[in-house]
Amino acid sequence: MDVDPRLYEQIAVNDNDIHNIVMSYLVHNCFKETVESFIACTGMKQPSDHLEDMEKRKRIYQFALEGNALKAIELTEQLATNLLEKNKDLHFDLLSLHFVELVCSRKCTEALEFAQMKLTPFGKEQKYVEKLEDFMALLAYEEPEKSPMFHLLSLEYRQHVADSLNRAILAHANHPTYAAMERLIQQTTVVRQCLNQEHGKDGPFSLKDFLKS
Amino acid sequence: MGGVGDDEPASKRMKLSSEELRRLSNGSTLKEPIVGSSRDLMARPLQSEGGEEVVGSKGVIKKVEFVRIIAKALYSLGYIKSGAHLEEESGIALQSSIVNEFMRQILEGDWDESVVTLHNIGLTDEITIKSACFLILEQKFFEFLDEEKVMDALKTLRTEISPLCINHSRVRELSLFIVSPSCCFSVRSPKQDTSRARSRIELLEELQKLLPPTVMIPERRLEHLVEQALVLQRDACMFHNSLDKEMSLYADHQCARDQIPSSALQILQAHTDEIWSLQFSHNGKYLASSSNDCTAIIWEVDANGVSLKHKLSGHQKPVSSVSWSPNDHQLLTCGVEEVVRRWDVSSGECLHVYEKAGLGMVSCGWSPDGKWVFSGVNDKSISMWELDGKELECWKGQRTLKISDLEITSDGKQIISMCRETSILLLDREAKVERFIEEDQTITSFSLSRDNRFLLVNLLNQEIHLWNIEGDPKLVSEYRGHKRTRFLIRSCFGGLEQAFIASGSEDSLVYIWHRDTGELIESLPGHSGAVNCVGWNPANPQMLASASDDRTIRIWGLNNLSAKRKDTRSNGIHHCNGSS
Repeated sequence: MDVDPRLYEQIAVNDNDIHNIVMSYLVHNCFKETVESFIACTGMKQPSDHLEDMEKRKRIYQFALEGNALKAIELTEQLATNLLEKNKDLHFDLLSLHFVELVCSRKCTEALEFAQMKLTPFGKEQKYVEKLEDFMALLAYEEPEKSPMFHLLSLEYRQHVADSLNRAILAHANHPTYAAMERLIQQTTVVRQCLNQEHGKDGPFSLKDFLKS
Repeated sequence: MGGVGDDEPASKRMKLSSEELRRLSNGSTLKEPIVGSSRDLMARPLQSEGGEEVVGSKGVIKKVEFVRIIAKALYSLGYIKSGAHLEEESGIALQSSIVNEFMRQILEGDWDESVVTLHNIGLTDEITIKSACFLILEQKFFEFLDEEKVMDALKTLRTEISPLCINHSRVRELSLFIVSPSCCFSVRSPKQDTSRARSRIELLEELQKLLPPTVMIPERRLEHLVEQALVLQRDACMFHNSLDKEMSLYADHQCARDQIPSSALQILQAHTDEIWSLQFSHNGKYLASSSNDCTAIIWEVDANGVSLKHKLSGHQKPVSSVSWSPNDHQLLTCGVEEVVRRWDVSSGECLHVYEKAGLGMVSCGWSPDGKWVFSGVNDKSISMWELDGKELECWKGQRTLKISDLEITSDGKQIISMCRETSILLLDREAKVERFIEEDQTITSFSLSRDNRFLLVNLLNQEIHLWNIEGDPKLVSEYRGHKRTRFLIRSCFGGLEQAFIASGSEDSLVYIWHRDTGELIESLPGHSGAVNCVGWNPANPQMLASASDDRTIRIWGLNNLSAKRKDTRSNGIHHCNGSS
């Protein structure tokens, strides 16, 4: 492709578009106050209940991130009924967060009972069996942090579940599940990498370097 | 395991012998320092200085080992007193006292004590010790679950099993069992497919397999050794051609000659000229023969003998070969450099004629699914047709000679044909790979074994060679004795599990060799002309047919009256007969 990569300088960018992109990011991540002041500064319009939902979504996300899955589930049910019924994978992941909490606090009996009541019903379907095994295996070790499944106790895992929950709630309310900003960065990375390969430059595309340039 | 199957008698048995042992170590003189204190016993082969005592004429059987496996066999047969007596009289203990203690603890479920004993037995390999502990604790775990003591099971898992740090995937499976014993949808189903603990005897057997045999003698060792000997005898038996023969321990197994067909039971006269080829159908119910008189005949084989069913006329040239369809409903016949005809066996009608303008066929064969017909052509190519005559493929180049055999393996993958005077082509149809068998002499004919692994090749110099055609062809055996100077002589595999090779000969005899040893077993007189072809009934290892220039076919069978009863085919041709 013999296109001058600096063609982008020719493209005109609309201010409204930029506002929308920024807003999409803020909304996705529930930065309520920032949204409010951004609206005030730019004079954009937003439906009012949007803010309320954002607040609720933020709390749900926080609870999930902390590992307080039961609270997250409760609030999710309030905000979006049937969501978890329709998203069994997500439901399982959230319940497993609670299980992990119990295991970490060494409450083995409770953990076992919880697993028997809430998690094993999923085991009827083949695709959950392996996940179930992963979690149950945590019970087998006195120090779960040292078990082969230690990654299930990590912040990354909780973040992953919390993110999925967030996206599910957005989808439920017919909002986009990915912030436009995120998508654009993903696009750019791909395009840049293609261009780099075309021009024989080594190494992956670095967003950091790009932003500095 | 012997007659004693369940837990209780076994533990009693163990108690008895350790009691005997205690008496033993309290004072009798022993020839060899086997039963010392448990600390002395190390798990290495018992060595005394200056050689151990041996039994047997060859001096390879160690007496201690011999006595121990006999004692073990006595116990497993249930002869507890005899076993104990043997241990006492010989002064050789079956097992050290600590091992006896260990076994007792296992059978009684003293898990924690057994783990301690295990560490004292004197094993040197860490992994073995851990694996054995794992097995024991796993049993403990499952027995808790069976008694619904879930928390105890969990505790065992957490505090005893996991810290062993081996077999993590099994630990995973075990944790699932805790939560829900019925939740076993894993396709990789464990050896136990329920959470029921296996019996303690089974656990002991598993442990015996794990621990070195010097520590714990494997179960059924004596029986295994005897079976080995019997199998070797059977394999060496040159005349072994009947399933009925039972093997006895009293004498080395040796079938008498009378199992091999050696008596001409019938002489079939219906052809009016030299008979060149014959072949039994796959189910052994029919025989097809082809002759210089331009006809082929289908014979029927039943309890009364062989009788003529159909005479197939139509060829204008002598018929050189026949080939049965895989389901035996149809027959192909090939005229010498003429056409190939397809016949219906029950009606005797000619269903189709395969020909190529200006060319002549030299051989014929079926695809294993019965849908296609192959034929060698005298322009050196091989053609393939659908049953209705539509030509599908044609392999050109040096594929075949003027008169030659053609075989297709039963999986349809390989076509075997003579491509040059001294070589045979093995053509893999799918992979398009060609392999060759190269001989020094001119090849006159060949035949394929039923399991597709071997090819029997007849040579101009009166030798028959057996080739293994799996992978790179390898010469395995040679057979000699028959005569072949001017004519085409054919040979074949036959008998029980194709353990024999039979061939025609120009001196009018039928020759039979034992395949593995290459020894000539029989040379049967009777024909008055060269014997061109032999066939062995695949369904009746005691029926052989030979075709001769004297225009007759002889049916050979067993030399005694009992042969009449054995006419109908026996079932177990494909099984490795145990007959024990």
